[in-house]
Amino acid sequence: MSSEPIERRVSYLGDRLRGKRCLICGKEYFEVRDYCGNCGRKSFGKMDEVDLFYEKGTLEICTLISEPTNKFTKLGCYIYGIVSFHKGKIRVPGRLTDKIIKQGEEIDFSSYEGREVVPRFRRRYSVQRSEIIPTISLAFTFADEFYPHQEYKIVKPNKEYSTPGIVGYGVYTSRFRIREGNIERSVPFIDEDAITAAVEAGKLALIHSGVDSSLVGKIYVGSESNPYAVKPIASKVAQVLRLGEEDEDVQGVDAVDTEFACKAATSMFKDAASLVNYPKSNVAYAMVIGADNSQAAPRDCPGGELDLFVGFGGCAYLLGKHDVIAEIEGWYSCTSDTPDFWRRDGEPYPMHGGRFTGDPAYFKHVRKSAKKLMERLGLQVSDINYFIAHQPNVQFPVKIARELGFKEEQYLPSLQVAKFGNTYSGSSPVGLAAVLDIAKPEERILIASYGSGAGSDAYSLITTSQILDKRPHQKMTVKYQAENPFLEYVNYTTYRRLKLGM
Amino acid sequence: MQDRPAIVAVGRTRFGEHYDKQPEKLIEEAWLKASQEADIERRDLEACYLSDYFLPITNKLGLEEGFLSELTQLHVPMEVTRSFSSALSNACNAIQAGKYNVVLVGGIEKMTDRWDKIRDDLMLLEDPWSYYAGGTPEANHELMLRAYIKKYGIRDRDLEKLKIALAQVSVKNHLHALKNEYAQYQRKITVDHVLSARKRAGKPLGLYDFAPISDGASALILTSEDAAKKFTDKPVYILGSASATDYLTFPAREDLTHFLVSETAMKKALKAAGVDLWDIQIVELYDQSTVMEMISLEDLGFCEKGKAWMNIYESCKNYKGYYEIDGKKLFVNMNGGLKADGNPLGATGGAQVFEVVKQLKGEAEERQVKSDKESSYGCVLELEGFGTKGYVYILGRD
Repeated sequence: MSSEPIERRVSYLGDRLRGKRCLICGKEYFEVRDYCGNCGRKSFGKMDEVDLFYEKGTLEICTLISEPTNKFTKLGCYIYGIVSFHKGKIRVPGRLTDKIIKQGEEIDFSSYEGREVVPRFRRRYSVQRSEIIPTISLAFTFADEFYPHQEYKIVKPNKEYSTPGIVGYGVYTSRFRIREGNIERSVPFIDEDAITAAVEAGKLALIHSGVDSSLVGKIYVGSESNPYAVKPIASKVAQVLRLGEEDEDVQGVDAVDTEFACKAATSMFKDAASLVNYPKSNVAYAMVIGADNSQAAPRDCPGGELDLFVGFGGCAYLLGKHDVIAEIEGWYSCTSDTPDFWRRDGEPYPMHGGRFTGDPAYFKHVRKSAKKLMERLGLQVSDINYFIAHQPNVQFPVKIARELGFKEEQYLPSLQVAKFGNTYSGSSPVGLAAVLDIAKPEERILIASYGSGAGSDAYSLITTSQILDKRPHQKMTVKYQAENPFLEYVNYTTYRRLKLGM
Repeated sequence: MQDRPAIVAVGRTRFGEHYDKQPEKLIEEAWLKASQEADIERRDLEACYLSDYFLPITNKLGLEEGFLSELTQLHVPMEVTRSFSSALSNACNAIQAGKYNVVLVGGIEKMTDRWDKIRDDLMLLEDPWSYYAGGTPEANHELMLRAYIKKYGIRDRDLEKLKIALAQVSVKNHLHALKNEYAQYQRKITVDHVLSARKRAGKPLGLYDFAPISDGASALILTSEDAAKKFTDKPVYILGSASATDYLTFPAREDLTHFLVSETAMKKALKAAGVDLWDIQIVELYDQSTVMEMISLEDLGFCEKGKAWMNIYESCKNYKGYYEIDGKKLFVNMNGGLKADGNPLGATGGAQVFEVVKQLKGEAEERQVKSDKESSYGCVLELEGFGTKGYVYILGRD
């Protein structure tokens, strides 16, 4: 039993944690109200907006839920309590997420109470597969653990560039990892999926860039694990992140999902750049997100080889012409109809062509796009500071980098697959983020993505001095997430369970 | 109160699981018992006020009035509300307005028919945002307890005492229910039972701290003061009643450590009845959890805020059948409370009134209490949701 209108209303408030503040008496409310209960009719039109999405609260009191209601049973045991914002002016119910609590585990509630928490955008509870997926931001994590609280400070644009480029980015991975041999992979918590990762990544990109979300005129979300066959992730991102100018409860933004296996996001960089560059588009910024809860069949099933490499995460880029941190110098894309990896509609897991995915697929396309772009721009390997290739496993990107003549110092910084696994649409974008995290101004970056099916997008980027100015805005760097003391390692069974989701 | 509504007869079913009975069979049983007691015919009824908390959800059954009409073959006005107390409140208003002289008030619930989904339903009804955030019906009680412990700075040995006091509430209610033929659980338990259930759950409250899920029905016949004499020479009068409301979302309330509705309704009811607090010695509290019984003792004014657990602890060390508070006796939940008597939401209030009426009339048999005063009063507190609504009734013989 589900009701679409109820779902719409609950998500609208709960995803963003919207509320109101009375300008007369200062009383605050979670949920949107037209007037203050204290002040009555005279407060009509005098209610200011309250938005808790970027704020931190305090977990006032909590208890353990060991026997959840039916829709929450897949969460197992969890901590639930009351979170206050604005020194107790608003109190909301909330659960702690990203914690695996074993049945019978002794919990000292006082060690949790009084600590600062930040809201996380997650799935709300389980529903049947045919139903709308409910989401909410009344899920919290401790601010002194994996996800720090980060203020979203809008910065007035300072400098306009003649060439569009990246103005900010954000990488979102989970706190959970599976470690097998020398490869670690990011594992979603049970309430995460490609949608939640996309929203969280976009949030981080806004924080990093300082761009006013209402100036974002277009959002592209690339994913191959959208839990819906029909219904865009981009619309959720647009609404929750309040992209574009708001008119009533509708966002003035164009939102679209793209799909081209692992290059669904990188493909859109040039579209976003072109759009912001078009004088009459009225789009100051465009956001591109690649997010996947990378799918793989269980190890002993057909297609199960992928299960050794798949990760989870999202990566968001904001493109524009103001306060650019990396200008796009040029690009080259290529495509051929090569069936190396696919997932038929209705099938839960993708299949792939085994050896065929290497030479005629990955290597051929990455090689071509990288070489052609270098040729066009007249670049030598030595002109390039960093090289990033799509990372379906550890061997492929190293092999192609070496073949193209790149040295370790050029390609190793981007190599993240051994820390997060293959994040599909987020794979090469995460590599690019790792490079942007450390690059100095005036450095050249070459990225060549790959999408099965098949194609590759190569871009040449040149960093600006602003890359250093914006760096302090982002605590959630790639390195921070890869080498975090709060990472939790899970075994294979837990990994499969979490990945399957609620 | 001018022209005091009079309760001339009460009836109820046993609470528990009645999987073999249709909901209307339960109300029939309760009504027949009440009608026999007062020798009342169905044609004497001028109106019916019925309550069920969520039969339309548990049994996909709407227009409950129609069922009752078929059952009684009556075509009189009938109204359905959510709690027995709200039905009773409407009945009182009508009687006092002089609209009717004899009415039936009934309550019914059939929770076990939806055993597997009932906690989701309850939580969604009681506090939707808390439900969306992952809350359970039990969680609000536990949070209230956490807030209470923090507010009053209860720690170390005192905290241990408080935990035991809450366990004793449950033990005491089970003890009372041993003498109640209608109770769902007529079984003695010990403090260890309660504590080990908490330990199993790994939580501050366990299985034995909470009232069960129940089916059941209750009924009473309410008349005007004048009409009462036709049916009984021992009417019990509703001397004062009041109700209050509070926010649905528990975390949004200003004070998380007490129920504003209980406090407000009690003050108003006492005033309406013209009765002093300690003229009341028999109290039926709405103990959905042991915490609720403790908090309610404070809300109604019998215990000092932050101290009820001490009164309970001291009284139960060597339990004599009542709580001893500053040297005064208070008989609480003599039927076993919601914990042991059962809690079929829409019918629960009827069982609470049933108990006070029986006690005041001296017809409570084994459970009969001996009050210190010649004329004693009884009080019923019923809540809807997690303190979203509160009703207080003060009953007396004179």
